[in-house]
Amino acid sequence: MRSAKAAGNTAVNTKKPGGFSFGTYMRRYGTLYLLLVLPIAFFLLFRYTPMAYILMAFKKNNIIKPPWQVDWAKNNGFEWFVKAFNDKLFIRALGNTIKLNLLDLVCGFPAPIIMALLLNELAFRKFKRVTQTILYLPHFLSWIIISGLALRLLADNDGLVNILYKRMSGDPNAVIPFLSKTNWWTGTYIALGIWKEAGWGTIIYLAALTGISPELYEAAAVDGAGRFRRIWHVTLPGLRPTIIVLLIMRLGSILGSEFDRPLALSNKLVTNASTVISIYVYQKGIQGGQYALTTAVGLFQSVVGVIFLFGANFLAKRFGERGIM
Amino acid sequence: MKRILALILTLALVASLGLVSAFAEDELVDGRFAETRHITVEVFRRGDNDPTTTPFADYIREGMLEQHNVEVEFVIVGRWSEVDDLNNLLAAGNAPDVSYTYSYPTILNYADMGGMTDLAPYLEQYKDLLPNMYALLGEDNVNWDKDPETGTLWAIETKLQNNARINTFIRKDWLDKLGLAMPTTKAEFEACLVAFRDNAELLLGADADRMVPYTTSQDIGWRNNNLIVSFVPNDLSDEEYYIHGYDDRQQTLPGAKEGVRLLNRWYNEGLVWKDFALYGSGDTTEDDNLKAGFVGAFQHNYDYPYRNGDDSIDANLKRNVGPEAAFVAVDCFENDAGLYRKFLGSTVDRKVCFPSTNTEILASLLYLDFISSPETILFLQTGKEGVNHDRAENGAYIMKTLDPTDPYYFNSLNNIDYTMTCNGLYLGEYTDVSFGYSYTGVDPALAETAYAVAMNDGRVPGHFILPAIEAEVTVGSTLSTERDTFLNQAVTASIEDFDAVYDEGLANYMSIGGEAIMNERAEKLEAATGYVHQDD
Repeated sequence: MRSAKAAGNTAVNTKKPGGFSFGTYMRRYGTLYLLLVLPIAFFLLFRYTPMAYILMAFKKNNIIKPPWQVDWAKNNGFEWFVKAFNDKLFIRALGNTIKLNLLDLVCGFPAPIIMALLLNELAFRKFKRVTQTILYLPHFLSWIIISGLALRLLADNDGLVNILYKRMSGDPNAVIPFLSKTNWWTGTYIALGIWKEAGWGTIIYLAALTGISPELYEAAAVDGAGRFRRIWHVTLPGLRPTIIVLLIMRLGSILGSEFDRPLALSNKLVTNASTVISIYVYQKGIQGGQYALTTAVGLFQSVVGVIFLFGANFLAKRFGERGIM
Repeated sequence: MKRILALILTLALVASLGLVSAFAEDELVDGRFAETRHITVEVFRRGDNDPTTTPFADYIREGMLEQHNVEVEFVIVGRWSEVDDLNNLLAAGNAPDVSYTYSYPTILNYADMGGMTDLAPYLEQYKDLLPNMYALLGEDNVNWDKDPETGTLWAIETKLQNNARINTFIRKDWLDKLGLAMPTTKAEFEACLVAFRDNAELLLGADADRMVPYTTSQDIGWRNNNLIVSFVPNDLSDEEYYIHGYDDRQQTLPGAKEGVRLLNRWYNEGLVWKDFALYGSGDTTEDDNLKAGFVGAFQHNYDYPYRNGDDSIDANLKRNVGPEAAFVAVDCFENDAGLYRKFLGSTVDRKVCFPSTNTEILASLLYLDFISSPETILFLQTGKEGVNHDRAENGAYIMKTLDPTDPYYFNSLNNIDYTMTCNGLYLGEYTDVSFGYSYTGVDPALAETAYAVAMNDGRVPGHFILPAIEAEVTVGSTLSTERDTFLNQAVTASIEDFDAVYDEGLANYMSIGGEAIMNERAEKLEAATGYVHQDD
């Protein structure tokens, strides 16, 4: 104990006067670093160590031996990338992933913003709270449950919506093919996504809204701005930094794909539209044991994601926003 | 001097003991290891029951310990996700010492990576210790997958005792109600379906709009197999069948397209369940329709309506509709030679492999021998007298209905999840007389008819001893998924679009791997037998 103290003292003494010594610094902030140890260990163990196994993408397919003991794949190690881009199924999965993600972005991204604006305008606090809670609820359902609901409600013949539609139109062959025609299925897929996540997505915007000074609203009102004017000139500019950050993050995962959502909602009539990269990876990797090929696909996804992330960040900065980096 | 001598003698004694124990590592005394060995063994799980805690699991564990001094630890693998599960276990290096799967490509994939044990040398060495296994499987099954060039053997093919596959079932009580005879041709069968559709009010009353004259699932090739293969030319050779044989739904055989065309017409005429394609495998909606009595006819596993005891389709149907309601197997899909041809299974079933992490090869082989012994199989397939079964006067085993919560409840028909090397009743002289009674709560005549019909005019695929087909290893589940997709699209297409949808789908199936597999099969077959593939 004493020696430690002494060491500390000497450390202080050897430093030039006025400057922070390492010892004092650590005494003051040591606990904060201690708090960081666990998250850093987590990232080292579960995020950085596995990166060594990216090597698998350039090696012969083998999961029994560690990748550094395996021979290089053909084409100077790029065998699996060449193979993937020559595989019709991969190209299809890539196209579907981009298509569904873009649609999700265009239709799904504004939804929570609009919802947050609407909630913000509600006058009765109690009604607002109840509405909010109801909007959050679908977020807690798994896609498996939602797919079950979708089948019971939207199936061509036995689905409740189509039964009602048939009765009301009087034509027993009138069917809305929510799940059985690819274009309709895509619409259902996007709509269910919005229904499930939009409410939950409002939380972050509502939090940002509380940060807008009420004085701005008062000033706008004094200047004669109506409701829509106030939303346009006060609320939306206040939300802009949040919107930009979320948009950048979203663009970073443009090639990323959910797994349970397309898997659960898909059926054998719409495979052409529903097979995204994650499902391709599942079929080829987990079910077919093609680990090198699927690692290559995963690496490609990540690289494109990083490019988009930096690109979006760069553009945001060009337009005078803070960006995320 | 004496001391030195004593020392030398003692050392020699110790050394010789050490040597003996080193050499005696795999020595058995009366079939038992001197020291207790430990092996892990795969077991399928279906539904909620834990297969490792049943009296049957105990029987196996106790038997192995007593006969061979081997401790058995069961490792659960989901029946309906077995390939995924086993892939995960193999990739992680902790697959069970004795693993089994229906997917030979999975085994081959790991063999290529060095993850499997070559069984050939061990079987040669220990053959004499495995009389029961050889008696049950025969040399044919044991060496089925032996590579004729390299001599390697990555898997032992277990025995399919009963190779019946698909039956057509029809509601006999509906036929009686409408005054129709059992159909004997496709045309008559179709007439029955039309009659069901047009008499929905009479047959279902208030539920008339739930009428499904004919039901199928998204697995078109399996669930309409009798129909589809009835369009395959009768003179198809074994060689051609083998070349097209990767697809176990027979979808690439000549003529199969016409079978799907007929189904497409039925679909468009309102004879087929409209929503079949929306429900994935494992969904119970279709079974629920069958149990509720809304369905007139279907094709499925040859004994499908009689499986699962108290929860069988047959039992539910009788509860929901009445004691006269029953699905009866019927033969009515004639081919170009006028035969009710069925494409049966061969003699092989699951494939048993030892991952390279297995360090107890002999103990694992002894497990296969133990599980193949008639005594073991008898107990596993018939359970405990008075609890699982009673004996008839002629010696037949009459299986009893058990509550699913009963520890003696069978999780799978004939307990096949435990009888690793045997699928199908194997009760020696009592097999035939007991067959009808193995479906608890079901009229034995129904089950016996179903079996006879399923075997009638059956065809068994020929077996060619060829090197592994590498193109089959890499496709994963993509080929079967794409096949099901185009078949579903073709069946639900309009009649005018049928050809375009089917042809495009088949071309796609061929281009993503179907053709590569066929070509490799044709090449290797030609190299081995000189047979030249006839392009169709």
